[in-house]
Amino acid sequence: MAKQKSKMAKAKLSDEAREAKERVEAHPMAVPFLWLGRKSVQDNFIFLPLIGLIITIVLGLVFPPEHEAPWDFFASWAVIGFCAYSAVVFSAEPLFKLLARDENYYGEGSDNG
Amino acid sequence: MSLISFFPDWMLTHGAAFLVVVPLIAGAIAAILPKRQIAAALTVAVSFICMLTSLLLVLQIIDGQTINYALGGWDAPHGIAYVVDGLNAPILFLISAIGFLVSVYGMPTIIAEVEPKKRAPFYAAFLICLAGLLGMVVTGDAFNVFVFLEVSSISTYSLVAMGASRDRRALTAAYNYLIMGSIGATFFVIGLGFLYMETGTLNMADMAVILREMEGGSRVSEIAFGFIIVGLGLKLAMFPLHTWLPGAYAHSPSMVTVFLASTATKAALYLLLRFVFTIFDVSFNYVFDVEIYLLAGLGMVGMILGSLQAIFQTDIRRVLAYSSVAQVGYMLLGVGLGTAAGLTAGYLHLMNHAVIKGALFMALGAFWYRYGITRVTDFNGLSKSMPWTMGAFTLGGLSLIGVPFTAGFTSKFRLVEAAFLKGWWWAVAIIVVSSVLAIIYIGRLLLAAYFQSPPEVNGHVVAKNEAPLLMLIPMWFLVLLSIAIGINADIMVDLAEGAASVLLPISAGATP
Amino acid sequence: MADLLLHLNPGFYFIFAGILCALLPVNIVRKSLLVLTPVFAAFMIFQIYGAQEVISGVISVGPQELITLRIDRLSMVWGYIFCLAGVLNGIYGFHERCRITDSSALIYMGAAVCGVFVGDLLSLFIFWELAAISSVMLVWMGGEGAYKAGIRYLAIHVLSGVLLLAGAVIYGQSNGGDYTFGNIGIDAPGGKLMLIAMGIKCGFPLLHNWIQDAYPKASITGTVILSAFTTKLALYALARGYAGTDILIYIGALMTVFPVFFAVIENDLRRVLSYSLNNQLGFMVCGIGIGTPLAMNGVAGHVVADVVFKGLLFMSMGAVMLRTGTAKASELGGLFRSMPYTTVFCLIGAGSIAAFPLLSAFVTKSMIISAALYSAENSHAIKDWIVLAMLLFASAGVMEHSGIKVPYFTFFAHDSGRRVEEAPWNMLVAMGLASLLCIFFAFPWGGYQFLYSLLPYDVKYHPYTGDHVVFQLQLLFAAMLAFAFLKRIGAYPHERRAEILDFDWTYRKLGLGIVHWMSEMWTRLSVNISRVSMRLIKGTGQKFYHIFSPAGTMSQSTPSGFAAVLTAGMLVVTLIFIYIGAS
Repeated sequence: MAKQKSKMAKAKLSDEAREAKERVEAHPMAVPFLWLGRKSVQDNFIFLPLIGLIITIVLGLVFPPEHEAPWDFFASWAVIGFCAYSAVVFSAEPLFKLLARDENYYGEGSDNG
Repeated sequence: MSLISFFPDWMLTHGAAFLVVVPLIAGAIAAILPKRQIAAALTVAVSFICMLTSLLLVLQIIDGQTINYALGGWDAPHGIAYVVDGLNAPILFLISAIGFLVSVYGMPTIIAEVEPKKRAPFYAAFLICLAGLLGMVVTGDAFNVFVFLEVSSISTYSLVAMGASRDRRALTAAYNYLIMGSIGATFFVIGLGFLYMETGTLNMADMAVILREMEGGSRVSEIAFGFIIVGLGLKLAMFPLHTWLPGAYAHSPSMVTVFLASTATKAALYLLLRFVFTIFDVSFNYVFDVEIYLLAGLGMVGMILGSLQAIFQTDIRRVLAYSSVAQVGYMLLGVGLGTAAGLTAGYLHLMNHAVIKGALFMALGAFWYRYGITRVTDFNGLSKSMPWTMGAFTLGGLSLIGVPFTAGFTSKFRLVEAAFLKGWWWAVAIIVVSSVLAIIYIGRLLLAAYFQSPPEVNGHVVAKNEAPLLMLIPMWFLVLLSIAIGINADIMVDLAEGAASVLLPISAGATP
Repeated sequence: MADLLLHLNPGFYFIFAGILCALLPVNIVRKSLLVLTPVFAAFMIFQIYGAQEVISGVISVGPQELITLRIDRLSMVWGYIFCLAGVLNGIYGFHERCRITDSSALIYMGAAVCGVFVGDLLSLFIFWELAAISSVMLVWMGGEGAYKAGIRYLAIHVLSGVLLLAGAVIYGQSNGGDYTFGNIGIDAPGGKLMLIAMGIKCGFPLLHNWIQDAYPKASITGTVILSAFTTKLALYALARGYAGTDILIYIGALMTVFPVFFAVIENDLRRVLSYSLNNQLGFMVCGIGIGTPLAMNGVAGHVVADVVFKGLLFMSMGAVMLRTGTAKASELGGLFRSMPYTTVFCLIGAGSIAAFPLLSAFVTKSMIISAALYSAENSHAIKDWIVLAMLLFASAGVMEHSGIKVPYFTFFAHDSGRRVEEAPWNMLVAMGLASLLCIFFAFPWGGYQFLYSLLPYDVKYHPYTGDHVVFQLQLLFAAMLAFAFLKRIGAYPHERRAEILDFDWTYRKLGLGIVHWMSEMWTRLSVNISRVSMRLIKGTGQKFYHIFSPAGTMSQSTPSGFAAVLTAGMLVVTLIFIYIGAS
């Protein structure tokens, strides 16, 4: 427990140190938003859509779809969204294995970067 | 018809013979002239006279008349008749007009390409070749055709060979051409012999009448037809018989290349039309068969393979030479369609192609004249070093591809239309594919010329060096003509329809 | 004079300005032309078009009448949006000093505007090809790697034009020489050819590769300009000629789905956006296929929205590329620190394309999806429900590639350590304007009503109903949740540099290989043939042959001996034909 706490404190410290360094280099308009780069923010980002999703699913009970598709129920689009998204992402690995080639495959050189 | 009134009366009656005799005699004179300048002037003058004379002939026949001229007052079938009608008058004009433009164009190039002591004979050979081509188109006597065919061919062999001082390979090319040309002529004369055996006459009109009475005749006339088709096919560079053409075009002097590309194959194609449609008749089963399957089929094979071969060439003249093989395919396809629309389109393409290829080869000659360019890779940056010539080449190339508002488009479009009317969808597909191939072989030249920078010599970019005016003027004349035809082709279409109505007298009226 | 201007197709102003630009050496004048010409053209459209269809500017070319100006409610939408895109692109490219880009961009825009406003198929063909030829310059400005892609682009587009012309000629001839461009339908003579021509230009599945091939390789401004016009011109032609053609529904649905899978593995973000473009076009093609007034309104509205938000996304990637020199996801990340404005604009674009409420696609794409839903409700056909399901799937897919992937990997994700300058002011202005438009078009109080009033049909549609907002948000939140979840458990794939194969492999690799192989075989074959023929000639003709033919030249031209044999062969073939024909 204590160990974890110290780890967190360490992470926070390093975040602060990093941000202090970044503050110098960053665009002035970006300075107030540098916290976006923190690992904790990125890790906890998941709660934003989660809460939004819960709210909208509840609202889905209040506003039922006017024109129903056969599969529609109060949370149908949430299910579609989650499944479709996951399907796309999980298809990436096999597709990449199947279709990816060396960048200079066509022998025309890489166009940028 | 007011234009006719400018010509003297004797020309109205004797124009047909005058057209052949003048260059023939002038050729003999040119051979013994001591100085190149005089021979050149004589050639320009004579070809100009020929052009006017043939213009007169065109004017005389434009409303569907036919001129029959009995040579020496000996009437056909015993004497030799010269016949001018809607089919051959435009070709006569084409040949003599190109002859004139080429002789102007040739004045600077000859100095660069032909040895000094051969220049006067060169002009003599050129004039005799002109006479031969005009003669074989104007005559109405089948054997006379052979005579003039040989006259023009033999002079052409020597013209090609005179490219030797520029490129020794001209000798081989001329030799190849000689062998192949002689085989072609032999086949042709064998065919004529058979035909004479069958009909007992050498006059074309008589032959036609007799053959129709015999309803196509026996095996003898069938064999005659076969020999004539192959003989002429060789002369007009019908695909697989085209092998003499690239060499001859690639190594002869520029002026000769232009002249050959624009006229020689065209005259042979005219003879093919004359034999297939007026002497023989498509109503004969064997003629129909050959026309539909062999001419159209080989035409299309030639369109594709010729274009493909053009893509892989490294010598620019060979690129255009193989392109000519492909273009002959278009004309043969028009002939093979056998309808009035198809023949009109094929005939139109014949004339347009002469204009376009003439311009393109003139531009190539100018490139060689200034920079010694013969390879595709040498095209780099030519748009900067020779902008006007390259401009002409570009417009000509676009016309060859068939971009709208150019001559090439008008005739290809009509050919597509004719193929549709006949229901030959695959022919349309092949025209499209072949046009795409044309985009490739012309496109890569244009890309090199416009998007590459000129080569550097000793650290300096090659200086701009435009072709002399005497070359630019005929070149641009042809280019602008091709654009003009692309914008308004009425005159050309009238001529082509006139020719088609000679070939298909009955149906031409029915299907516009 | 003023009267004359009312009969002139507004696209010609662009073309004039483009020609002028080609000759003008003064950068500032060119730039002003680039921005002012679209404004003026839009003003002229406003002047010309009252409430009724305007047909004018009829030119006779030979027997053919070309209608160079036809503005009605359908073409008007495209005309205005092209002008708008022209202004945005003009501002966006303000910093660039390139005469070729300026003039070809103007001519290209002019061709697109002209193409939309002409009234017959032949004129359409002319501008169809002009658009292709002028735009290839923009591709070529992309540098070395773009050259071959440009050639392929040109070849494909010229092919499309040729098909269009062929179809138009068949169609016109069967109509007795009437080339008016109205509803064609797939069953009309030539209809299929023209459909394929348009299909090539708007990226039907398997005909789509030119988009992903050429757009990512074009110059920075070039890509932005290209993305707005070519495909939208084709969509206009489809909407005009093929509204309600059933097959388009399925083509469109397929078109929305397949790019999703390519976009997820693609590393080059400009190529991701090209796939995304393809996917958005799918929605519109599908809408055209449905063809009800609501669907057509959806198509027109979505064109407007798409030009703006897709332009905005390409602009933001262009800005990133300008500053960092790359648009590869694997090389970017954490850029919000250096380019905060661009980040915000990109997020607005991403939100718009993903159809967040209050952002533009929400009010336009929903019309297409609703139209698909209504038609499925009416027909109860299982295939219509499948189409609807595909559209919903694709909506979630849009969220993946454009909504999350593009902004996340560029501006957030792992910090690449790149510290660059913010985009130049003119780019920011262009992106800012586009962002404002994205918000304006979906603004619930007057914004979307204005957009709807421009659309070709009078249909009552309310995007902001409770259920629509709620369910759209469900979809988007669920997608975001899935992203965050998969990221957290480490299932989200890392970006890797690679060339992703698509259907263009068939012609870039397979076709090329076959051609190489054939030319190789051809060489071998011709060598062998000449060797065989040499052997045949040996004995009789060889001595004769050797005297006249120097050995060096033999390999360069076909030996005449062989040709002679060929001639004899021809004679035999001819005689066989004659024999068959005669008997």
